[in-house]
Formats: sequence, C-alpha cells, structure tokens
Amino acid sequence: MKDRIVLIFWLAAVVAITFVHEPVVLAALLLIVLISIGRSAPGIARRALAAVALVNLTVSIAFVLSAWLAGDAWLQFVLRLNLRVFLLALLTFWMIRHVDLARAAAPWPSLQFIVVLALGQIRTFSALLADYRMAFASRSPTRPPLRVRFDGAGRQAAAMMEKAESQAEDLTQGMRARGFFDDCQDARDYNRKNNREENCEDSRKDNCEDNREHNWPDANDRSRLND
Amino acid sequence: MHIPDGLIAPQAYLAAAALVVPCWAFAVRRVSRALDERTIPRLAVLTALAFVLSTIMVPLPGGTSAHLSGMGLLVLAFGLWPAFLAFSTVLALQALLLGAGGITALPVNALIMGLIGGGVVAGAHSLVGGGRSAWATVIPVWLGVVAASLGMALVLGLQPLLGRDETGQPLFFPFGPEVTLPVIVLPHLVLGALEGFLAWVVLGRFDFCRATA
Repeated sequence: MKDRIVLIFWLAAVVAITFVHEPVVLAALLLIVLISIGRSAPGIARRALAAVALVNLTVSIAFVLSAWLAGDAWLQFVLRLNLRVFLLALLTFWMIRHVDLARAAAPWPSLQFIVVLALGQIRTFSALLADYRMAFASRSPTRPPLRVRFDGAGRQAAAMMEKAESQAEDLTQGMRARGFFDDCQDARDYNRKNNREENCEDSRKDNCEDNREHNWPDANDRSRLND
Repeated sequence: MHIPDGLIAPQAYLAAAALVVPCWAFAVRRVSRALDERTIPRLAVLTALAFVLSTIMVPLPGGTSAHLSGMGLLVLAFGLWPAFLAFSTVLALQALLLGAGGITALPVNALIMGLIGGGVVAGAHSLVGGGRSAWATVIPVWLGVVAASLGMALVLGLQPLLGRDETGQPLFFPFGPEVTLPVIVLPHLVLGALEGFLAWVVLGRFDFCRATA
C-alpha cells in the first residue's frame, strides 16, 4: 500500500511540476524536496545530476550560444530548464529508492507477474550479456576488427533471443507445474478447435481435487480472487 | 533516442497518452488472444530481452540520445503487438528503475518508438514480401528507426510552439524542427542501417539456433 501511495504521489508531483514555469518557484520546490529527503539527499542528488547533466548541459549551452548570437536573453530559460529537469530527476531517484515496483503492482496480478518475471529475467540476461562480453574480451588480446566485433554483437544478441525463447517455455512449464494455468481450458480449446465432443470434466475434477489435496487454489479460484 | 522528463509540454504528453492508452489496451487483447496462457511469461521474457538490448545509449546533441533500440528486431522476431507491449514495458521500467527516459515522456516515447517505429518495420517488411533476406530485414528496420527519429524530432521541434513565457522564451524544449530534424534524424540514418544490419545478423543466428535446437 505504501509503495502505491508513494508511486501515485510521485506521479502527481511530476505531472504538476511540468505546469510550473517560474524559476523561483522551481528553486523553492527543489529546496523543499532536498530538505525533505534528509540525510540521503547528497547521494540522490548526485545520481540525479549524473542522469541529467549531459542532456541539460547540451541543451543549455546550445541555447545560450544561439541566444547570444541573436542578442536575446537566455538566463530565465536556462534556470527554468535546469531547475525543472533536475527537480524531476531528484524526485524520480527518491521514488526509486522508496518504491518496490512488484509490491506497487500487487492489485493487478498479471502486471505484478510481468514485473516480477521481467525483473528476474533482466538480471539473468544482464549477467549472461556480461559473461559474453568478458568471454569475447578474453578471447581478443588485441582490439578485434569492426567486422568481428559486429559479428560478436550479433551472436550475443541471437544467443539472448534463443535463451529468451527457451526461458519463456521454461517459465510457462514452471508456472503450469505450480498450478497457475487452467489446463482444462487448453483441452476445451483443443476440442473446440478440432470439433471434438468430449470435454475434460473428469480430468478437471481430478485437477481440482489434486489442487485441494495440496492446498493450492485452482485456476478458477485464482481468477475469482483476482477479480 | 527517448526524451527525458521536463522537456515535453503537458499538451504533448497528455495528447500522446490519450492516443497510446487505447493502443496498449488493444495490444493486450491481441497478444492475450494470440498467446493464451503463455502471454505472461512470454511477455516478461520479451520485456527483459528488449531491456537488455536497449541498455547501451549514446547521447546526442539536441537533448536526446541514440541507442540500438531492438524494436525492429523484436517486431521481426515476434510480431508488432507483442513487441510494442514489451517495448512499452521496457520504457516504463527504465523510467521507474533507472530514471532514464522519464514517465511524462513515456507515452510519447512508446507511441513514436514502439508503435510508429514498429508499425513502419512491420509494414515495410510485409511490403518487401517478408522473409529473412538481408533486404527484407535491413530496409524495414532502417525505415522504422528513421521514421521513429523523424517523429521524435517533430515532437521535440513542436515544443517551442506549445509554450512561451511573456518575454518570448520557451517553456520546454527550446529548438524548433529546423534544429531537431538534422540533429536527430541524420545520425539515425546511419544508426538505422547499423541496427538493420545487426537485426539481419541476429535473426539469421536466431533462426539457425531454432532450427538446430
């Protein structure tokens, strides 16, 4: 619940700040946020600064140069842009520190499943990619030519895609083995597709009894719970 | 390529949200119908794959960045709607976990990179007759990347028109299309070709792995 509240508060704050254009107000808000964050403010501010510095510097320098060449004022815009973008980044990094996305998605089980599974898979793929990169580097005592590096990148991406395919199948099987899916629905769909009369009520009963025996909810119970 | 928070006017990102939310709903329905119970694990893995493919970002002058989005690759390997959903989830995760991209810019990023870019890839791929030949892969992916960069340049270039203060200074991104179009689109002409070529190499390897599995 806390995670959801923080997430909603952050979202509302981010949207509201995009309607604020006065640099003085933005500076005051920035000060309030920094004070509210407390002791972790320097760390969060450093991360936020690192995230926005390149974009802000590029846009600011380009704008100052073009305004200077045209003889226009630039200070108001540069202050506005930098304060707003930094304030938004600061709020985002504060939110990242305080919100567990999987818990925040709890009211929407399908979304929660996707978030949890995706986060786990991201860690797996990132580790795999790091392994591939290190293996490639260790096999290359000198810098390989562009064609070889390109081919290496292609093979790494292809291996990850192949891994993704088999991981999806493994995850599906794992979830089925733990009773996440209604297998009878599959059988009914198959029968319907093949115009077969028989249904799977018997196997459904078996499945449900099996689930009860192990104290697992069956698929229909779960969908009712989700509703 | 995607835009951070604070550079896009609320009129632009709210309008993009109004357009992209029904597209997400439609995509969820399409994907659920096509993939049945495997939808969740498959989408999760696809999302993770797209996330890892898009981790390398190269900043560009003009307030944005370039990277191998992997969108074309995902569209050609898995279809437009699963790829669009996975890519949108990646953008959301990047905004919510890494602070990259921005949550207000998410609808704009998802619409332009995911739907327009992905749609152009899928359309061009079917126009050239499908298949996995070099031309049938490189050209659609290149067109998708260029179309997405064009859309992004136009959205950014529109910002000075959407908000100025009483002194005439911009409220959001300050440069018009005369700056954003060359700054964003020109590098993507090369990046798109690189991404297309990489997609061709990857899909060739991917099909080989599938066939020998």
